Amino acid sequence: MIPFDYQRAEDTRSAVATVTARPGAAFLGAGTNLVDHLKLGVAAPDLLVDVSHLPFDMIEPLAGGGVRIGATVRNSDLAVDPVIRQRYPMVSAALLSGASGQLRNVATTAGNLMQRTRCPYFQDVTTPCNKRRPGSGCSALEGYHRDHAILGASRHCVAVHPSDLAVALTALGAVVQVEGVKGARSIPIIDLYRLPDDAPQHDTVLEHGELITAVDLPALPMATRSTYRKVRDRASYAFALVSVAAAVDVERGTVRDVRVALGGVAHKPWRARRAEEALRGAPATDDAFRAAAEAELAGARPLRDNAFKVPMARNTIVATLRELTRREEP
Amino acid sequence: MSTATRETVAGRVGDSAVRPDAALKVRGEFAYSSDLFADDMLWGATLRSPHPHARIRSIDVTAALTLPGVYAALTHADVPGENRYGLDHRDQPVLAEDVVRYQGEPVAVVAADHPETARRALDRIAVDYQVLDPVVDAELAMAEGAPVLHPECPGGNVLRHVRIRRGDPEATAEVVVTGEYRVGMQDQAFLGPESGLAVPAEDGGVDLHVATQWLHVDQSQVAHALGLPPEKVRLTLAGVGGAFGAREDLSMQVHACLLALRTRRPVKMVYGREESFFGHVHRHPALLRYEHGADRHGRLVSVRAEIVLDGGAYASSTPAVVANAATLGIGPYQVPNVRMDCWGVYTNNPPCGAMRGFGAVQACFAYESQMDKLAERLGMDPVELRIRNAMREGSTMPTGQVVDSAAPVAELLRRVRDKPLPPPADPTDPRDLPGGVANTTRGDGVVRGVGYGVGIKNVAFSEGFDDYSTARVRLEVLGGEPVVSVHTAAVEVGQGLVTVQQQIARTELGIARVTVLPADTGVGSAGSSSASRQSYVTGGAVKAACERVRDTLCALAATRLGREVGLVDGKLVTADGAVAASIADVLGDEVIERTVEWRHRPTFPLDPLTGQGNAHTQYAFAAHRAVVDVDVELGLVKVVELACAQDVGRAINPQAVLGQIHGGSAQGLGLAVMEEIQVVDGTVRNPSFTDYLIPTIVDMPPMVVDVLELADPHAPYGLRGVGEPPTISSTPAIVAAIRAATGRALTRVPVRPDDIALAGSASRPVPSRPEVPCD
Repeated sequence: MIPFDYQRAEDTRSAVATVTARPGAAFLGAGTNLVDHLKLGVAAPDLLVDVSHLPFDMIEPLAGGGVRIGATVRNSDLAVDPVIRQRYPMVSAALLSGASGQLRNVATTAGNLMQRTRCPYFQDVTTPCNKRRPGSGCSALEGYHRDHAILGASRHCVAVHPSDLAVALTALGAVVQVEGVKGARSIPIIDLYRLPDDAPQHDTVLEHGELITAVDLPALPMATRSTYRKVRDRASYAFALVSVAAAVDVERGTVRDVRVALGGVAHKPWRARRAEEALRGAPATDDAFRAAAEAELAGARPLRDNAFKVPMARNTIVATLRELTRREEP
Repeated sequence: MSTATRETVAGRVGDSAVRPDAALKVRGEFAYSSDLFADDMLWGATLRSPHPHARIRSIDVTAALTLPGVYAALTHADVPGENRYGLDHRDQPVLAEDVVRYQGEPVAVVAADHPETARRALDRIAVDYQVLDPVVDAELAMAEGAPVLHPECPGGNVLRHVRIRRGDPEATAEVVVTGEYRVGMQDQAFLGPESGLAVPAEDGGVDLHVATQWLHVDQSQVAHALGLPPEKVRLTLAGVGGAFGAREDLSMQVHACLLALRTRRPVKMVYGREESFFGHVHRHPALLRYEHGADRHGRLVSVRAEIVLDGGAYASSTPAVVANAATLGIGPYQVPNVRMDCWGVYTNNPPCGAMRGFGAVQACFAYESQMDKLAERLGMDPVELRIRNAMREGSTMPTGQVVDSAAPVAELLRRVRDKPLPPPADPTDPRDLPGGVANTTRGDGVVRGVGYGVGIKNVAFSEGFDDYSTARVRLEVLGGEPVVSVHTAAVEVGQGLVTVQQQIARTELGIARVTVLPADTGVGSAGSSSASRQSYVTGGAVKAACERVRDTLCALAATRLGREVGLVDGKLVTADGAVAASIADVLGDEVIERTVEWRHRPTFPLDPLTGQGNAHTQYAFAAHRAVVDVDVELGLVKVVELACAQDVGRAINPQAVLGQIHGGSAQGLGLAVMEEIQVVDGTVRNPSFTDYLIPTIVDMPPMVVDVLELADPHAPYGLRGVGEPPTISSTPAIVAAIRAATGRALTRVPVRPDDIALAGSASRPVPSRPEVPCD
């Protein structure tokens, strides 16, 4: 571990100013991801500004009918919040399918969104990795890549985003509230995350020193009938091979509206817009679900060892939509 | 003279005596080796090769030594004895010299006043590597022209080849099934990473406190590398957090001693979890090709098999694993015609060696898969087919050895088959469904499957190895009460061996107060806590030493009392059953101490050409039935129930027996569906418990266990080794159940979601077999 300074932030403004002014500084939430990276040498900040105690620990109603989730709300607290459970069950399900109870008890909302890929080469400082050391190459392209991306990857990076929560938030169309030295801005989560292109070192569009303070969920009534399914190698405490967050509004056997996002398949949580388009107005049948899934996955470009993710994603989309629509139509 | 009723002490053989470490471990108060501490101690750290194969041009430790707080930085040039160690033969450098042969091979060690200082010092050591192509495919490593990794090995990269020929190797059969199977690299995944504390002694020697499996084999290797006589290297067992074979080879032992002797300060070394993956050997990945021939009634006519075990960079216990895979590789079946060839091969992959099941695991997955395939071909019930061919007492092994104690293979199979099947899963409780609490399945596309497996394992060391244990038993009177102390070097790895020793002493002497002294090298060797052997061999030694103490006591009493007496339930009793005296009366201030070296029946080497010979001293058997629910759309498996039947000869401690069966079955489940060290081009890609998956409580189902106690007349109390058999048969039973649910061939473990249900998943290319040299 490289020596670093530690500061407990006094308020948002000073925390943002401090990190912005120092290129080697980083924000520290619960540290469940960053501290691992410090140990492994993946991250080497010279200053940690601890924001975990800043007053963003509330879940509050928004004027337009939505809900604001503070950046430091713990994953466990968010998952059991009655409003979240009732109005956005996919958020609760996504959180509870991730990490372990101990980790969820400390991990924060913003920290969850900012966690970095679990690609083994990203974590092994002895290997080339464009995300860790831009320009050094991508070891996963020809190496171990069973867990890697099938959508939106580039030859510079085939890593996937590890968050479950972010997949649910992407399906919902959540908006991230950000504080920077130039003031506050709102970023739709779909725009927060990047595809790797030729700069995979950037997971998000955030500038150095910008701090997430909250995540706003839209009203979205159909989200009361939503869920999150995660397929993984072990029944708990494992990252997604494929996951699906979905909400659906069905009337008389026809899909009126639908939201679908995929996890474990791309550098960012993958909003399945093609599938959504194919489903709107379609009958709520397995065939339609399968066709929609295939429309989305037509653009999949699997690697040597992860072609299985294409049918797995298709089957998971179908199974998730089937469950939701069956529940809706008694 | 009193004729009062005698009380039998509690906690004897056959009781579920309470373990002294149980409550401490549950409360988190047990002192493991990683908790060791000494005043003024330094912290050691290890610089490891990032490359699986490289030439070392130079190593420069100068910059490390200039860091304040660093007391020593040592390389191979600082090893005072021979820079070699190894269990079977000494082919492994303590610190690399001119070549590194696997990723993680130790190159240098440092000692500093803080662990972080030690790690920073490692960053300052300059090693100039010339990277070489790694040899990573075991079959290619055997081929002509492959780079030779150990020039001194007469067989090239073939470390050992065991061949077994029985009957007519060219025998033909009416029905033939062939199959090719693969087993991935499994980790022992013990809880307590490698750790220990070396303390320099005034006599120029060193005292090492360490978590290990066999104190004396460590002692001899450490002394050899240090250039010290064994008596100057004294080992004491520290708290062991599991072993499963991973502590048979040295890890930090020599390194800590080198640093302690150099700095004249106590030196502690503790690996982290990631380092631990590089700090011990793993289970051999295997390629297994089988051909089973049977008549149309399902009676086995012949088995032909070839097994290639990837031994990795150094020998470790590969030669013995090869012999086990070969001699046990036909399974618990009667087969008149056998041709078996098994090779252990050097590569630049992580070294592989001992892990629970020791060669029998890999073979069992293959031969049981073959039995299912044969049953399907014959249209027979898979259990019926197994029973029809089951070995029994008096059967002959492919090695020609006659199985001369209970071999209830058919009975074990019937027992697991006849258990009631579990009810269908509750679709409202995700914990009962594939995918667990991730809400993955609602019961759509979930198919139930049932599968069976039965396995065979040898107990204790084989092939003529002088396998013994030493026990020193002392009887004295303290505070008016007789007290027994038992001293052995046998290692408690968590299996309950301390309690077993107490139970045996209580049984033999009828005395309640039994103290088991810390295991150390102050008493003779106990052999390894492996091969399911300690209750048998150290148990036998403690029993024999107690008998000697008892005989001495009775002789003493006869002299004092003027008549013949025996020791019954802790009292000296005349022939008519009357109590003549108490032990305290007879013994007074005298102490009786007896030390016994005890051996099981000898074993013999295998004939190098035919593999014939009485290589093993005892066989053990277990059978499993697995019930699984598979979400065939998503490829997820939920093991619903594991039923196991095992013959243990005599359950010395029934609760501990169940613990072994539960734990062993769980380890087999892990191999069946999730555990694999991912090695790509010789480098480990998942060295953490986040990425190397072991079963959790959500994955491991309830078990139904039948324990048979069919005494082996050759063994103390009739017992049969317990620890390994349940690991062996649970894996094939689970995979068979998944096959039954899915219809997929599933020829490789671990089985993963991609292997089960999903069209379009990439299959692993299998290279064609090159010509292999024979050693």
